[in-house]
Amino acid sequence: MPALGTFLLLTCFVVAAYAATASVAGARRQSTRLTESGIGAFYLVTALMAVASSVIIYAFVTDSYAIKYVDRYSDAAQPLLFKITAFWGGLDGSIMFWVLLLSVFGAIAVRNSRESHRELIPYVVATIAIVEMFFLFLMVMHNNPFETYLADIPPDGQGLNPLLQNVYMVIHPPSLYIGFVGMTIPFAFGMAALATGHLDDSWLRAVRRWTMVSWLFLSLGLTLGMIWAYEELGWGGYWGWDPVENAGLLPWFTATAFLHSVMVQERRGMLRVWNMTLVILTFFLTIFGTFMTRSGVVQSVHAFGEDKELGLMFTVFMALLLVVSFGLLLYRLPLLRARHELDSWVSREAAFLANNWILLFSAVFVLFATMFPTLSESLTGERLTVGPPFFNKWMLPIGLALLLLTGVGPLLAWRKSTVENLWQQFLWPTVAALVTGVTVVALGVRVWSSGTCFAMSAFVTTTLFQEFVRGARVRQQYSGSDLLTSAVGLVARNQRRYGGYIVHLGIVLMALGFAGEGFKQEEQLLLKPGETVTVGPFTVRHDAITITQDAQKQMVTARMTAFQGSRELGTITPAKWFYNKRTDEPTTEVAIRRSFAYDLYVVLAGFDAEQQSATFHVVVNPLVNWIWAGFAILALGTLLALLPERALAIASVKVPEAAATGTTTSALLLAALLGSAAFPHVAHAQHVEGASTVVVPMSAFEREIQNDIVCMCGTCGRKRIDECTCGKAEEMRIEVAGLVKQGYTREQVLDYYVQKYGSQEPLAMPIDKGFNRLAWAVPYGLGVFGAALAGVTALRWSRKRHELEDAPAVASTEGDAWQTKLDEELRDLD
Amino acid sequence: MSATKTAKIAISTLVLGLAFSAMLYSSLNEETQYYKHVDEVMTQPGEWYGKRLQLHGHASDIRRKADSLDYRFEVAHNGQLVRASYTGIVPDTFKDGSEVVIKGTLGPQGFVVEPGGVMAKCPSKYEAGAPGAPGKVSRPAPGIQSSAN
Repeated sequence: MPALGTFLLLTCFVVAAYAATASVAGARRQSTRLTESGIGAFYLVTALMAVASSVIIYAFVTDSYAIKYVDRYSDAAQPLLFKITAFWGGLDGSIMFWVLLLSVFGAIAVRNSRESHRELIPYVVATIAIVEMFFLFLMVMHNNPFETYLADIPPDGQGLNPLLQNVYMVIHPPSLYIGFVGMTIPFAFGMAALATGHLDDSWLRAVRRWTMVSWLFLSLGLTLGMIWAYEELGWGGYWGWDPVENAGLLPWFTATAFLHSVMVQERRGMLRVWNMTLVILTFFLTIFGTFMTRSGVVQSVHAFGEDKELGLMFTVFMALLLVVSFGLLLYRLPLLRARHELDSWVSREAAFLANNWILLFSAVFVLFATMFPTLSESLTGERLTVGPPFFNKWMLPIGLALLLLTGVGPLLAWRKSTVENLWQQFLWPTVAALVTGVTVVALGVRVWSSGTCFAMSAFVTTTLFQEFVRGARVRQQYSGSDLLTSAVGLVARNQRRYGGYIVHLGIVLMALGFAGEGFKQEEQLLLKPGETVTVGPFTVRHDAITITQDAQKQMVTARMTAFQGSRELGTITPAKWFYNKRTDEPTTEVAIRRSFAYDLYVVLAGFDAEQQSATFHVVVNPLVNWIWAGFAILALGTLLALLPERALAIASVKVPEAAATGTTTSALLLAALLGSAAFPHVAHAQHVEGASTVVVPMSAFEREIQNDIVCMCGTCGRKRIDECTCGKAEEMRIEVAGLVKQGYTREQVLDYYVQKYGSQEPLAMPIDKGFNRLAWAVPYGLGVFGAALAGVTALRWSRKRHELEDAPAVASTEGDAWQTKLDEELRDLD
Repeated sequence: MSATKTAKIAISTLVLGLAFSAMLYSSLNEETQYYKHVDEVMTQPGEWYGKRLQLHGHASDIRRKADSLDYRFEVAHNGQLVRASYTGIVPDTFKDGSEVVIKGTLGPQGFVVEPGGVMAKCPSKYEAGAPGAPGKVSRPAPGIQSSAN
């Protein structure tokens, strides 16, 4: 079965290569048959990836621990759901999942746009197929999920980290991946438009919806990540500016910028180069984010671990990507001239431009700060780090400026706003902002950032309300129905616009939630039974510690009573769970008491079972739930904007039905959200790894050597001695320590083992010398050779056809010219 | 016309760029922390007094004052050692012998760890951090190792 899997991946690589070659060659030779065969191959990749994915899922479900990946991320006791989702639990599988998603999305995109964007499709296919090839190459050469143990198949797997065994981790990574992968589609269409020179706005129409869907999933992924951090990790917050989180945020910024600036291009024919740049950057950042977190370039306690080889492959791919895409962009620059110029700085275009600059700046800033430790180390040799306070200091004003623009943008007219309409538009929102500001100060709020945020939220909300009411009034005059019906009809007729406004409303709610962070109160302390602590409006009394047991784990639970003022709220039970397989890594079960104003958040940090005393981290988090509610509204708005335009026609005729769909989706979404919020804590843990068995500190050198030598006991399946737990490995570690003490160099130690065992068998990696070097080079050579071959074939195929058709070319060129013209006319009609 | 426009854009970009760089530079000066191993700092501790540091090493001799959250412990790396004090909650994996990074400032009395400044090594969210896991990433503390040399 693993052999089948590997074979499928290899086949996928070959088929993807054919798809790329054939479709481009077909387009250049204008051979429909060749292009069609490329598209066919492209679909075949999807089918093959689906089969390969079923194979790995089957392996998980049937507990095939011969496959290393299955052994590492699953065990017999794991619930079926987590066995299946362990598919994307690790690096190898997540790359495979990535390719699967990409192939599925690609197939859908190609199918949908095959007729409407016929001239672009071959290049879309080629771009996506090349990206697929890169990831397939990574898998086959470096991270094959189907890799097996040659001997000594473990009887049971090591099990998925309990940290990952919960419902958020089932949906959080896929949703982020969907967001990431979805961004490839706009990129592919952009590349196709650049390659063919069909640079009118039709490619934008093809990708608008894809960008929105990907953006929605990216937002969902980020939000779920926050919920997960908040509920499972137990440090009291939801966003820590961790490189892993930042990796998801970077493309979110550029995608948001694109969704706004695309409107300027549609409306005014401006910012065409800019939009293309944003599409390329967004795609680049999805790859870069993966690179950043997977290759160990960014080092922090949270980083994924070092993998120089993987880093190198990514670097090469990213360099190629930038050179090719920006090269094409420069080449096509003459075709991308703006049709209009900016008329005035007091216009909606200018507001969009400002919004774009700020978003792009945010992306650059977060990238810079995330990479700062690495940058400082490579430039000065001194490793400097920046923490969350640095991020917050910068992102806070940036966020506030964006929030303000959210309100200002819709108030400005396209092209140029007159003083008169400025007055008319800004009056009420400004009044609302001032009133809120004064009220906030009068109430004694002294956190300037949160106060400003409240005032701005009032401004934006009033703006949105004003837009809805004015629009509905106008419609009311035509239809004569009541205001509410008119508002529904208004939304149904301009889903994108009003969907966008609803998204903004969601953003405002989220901003309020973030502003609540300014009023966070917390306390860390030790409590004996009967003692209480008061934090903010809550008082908590520690009653007792109980220890219970089930088949999987031992549970230490603190029984506490919570009060708000003098009113008793009930019992809360923060806990620590010690899983039998990982007693070193207890998971933290946070007790959260939610309300719209405050969350009471209690963590059991330590305990003394005999004395019944325990240490607690008690946090009062104001307004946190507004973030989740804000996201629900944001998602609702996006879905509304996403409704197919055909729905528009029906909706404007039969308003009630549209309203009904609107409510069902929102109800579904709310249900999903509430459902996940109400889900019992399945399994959680503090975000830390178990203490290693190393008690005596080793030198880095010794550790490095331990990593180079495998255990020779013959039953451990070639585990490196630094991670093998058998007695032989212990012996070998002592031996290595002895050698190191004698002053052996790395070469000498390796030599010693080669001589002792008469072969290179004890070495974890073949020595990079002579013939062995060739062995290293082979896979890379093959990869480069394959790519070169594909390129040459594509060129030759297209050239041959040209030579053949030299004679009758005159006639057909003329025909083509007519055909192109016809195509253009038809496009304009769309 | 077009030349003046280009000049305008160039100048505003320049001004904005300079302003941001200046702000970035000043805030960086306040916020950065040096990331060091214990031995890099403790050979000449006087030089580092008062600077914000992140120190990496192995914890030992952890003591807690009875009925409080006051901790005293030692952090060692390559034979050099620093005494540290901390008040607050420590991670579950903070034990004698565990690999830690502590944030705070060094003074003649030892290293004062800032609130929440004790971090024990930590696996990623996605990678199951099984110590015996096979695969390419297998060093004991992958993320925080290579800054040593």
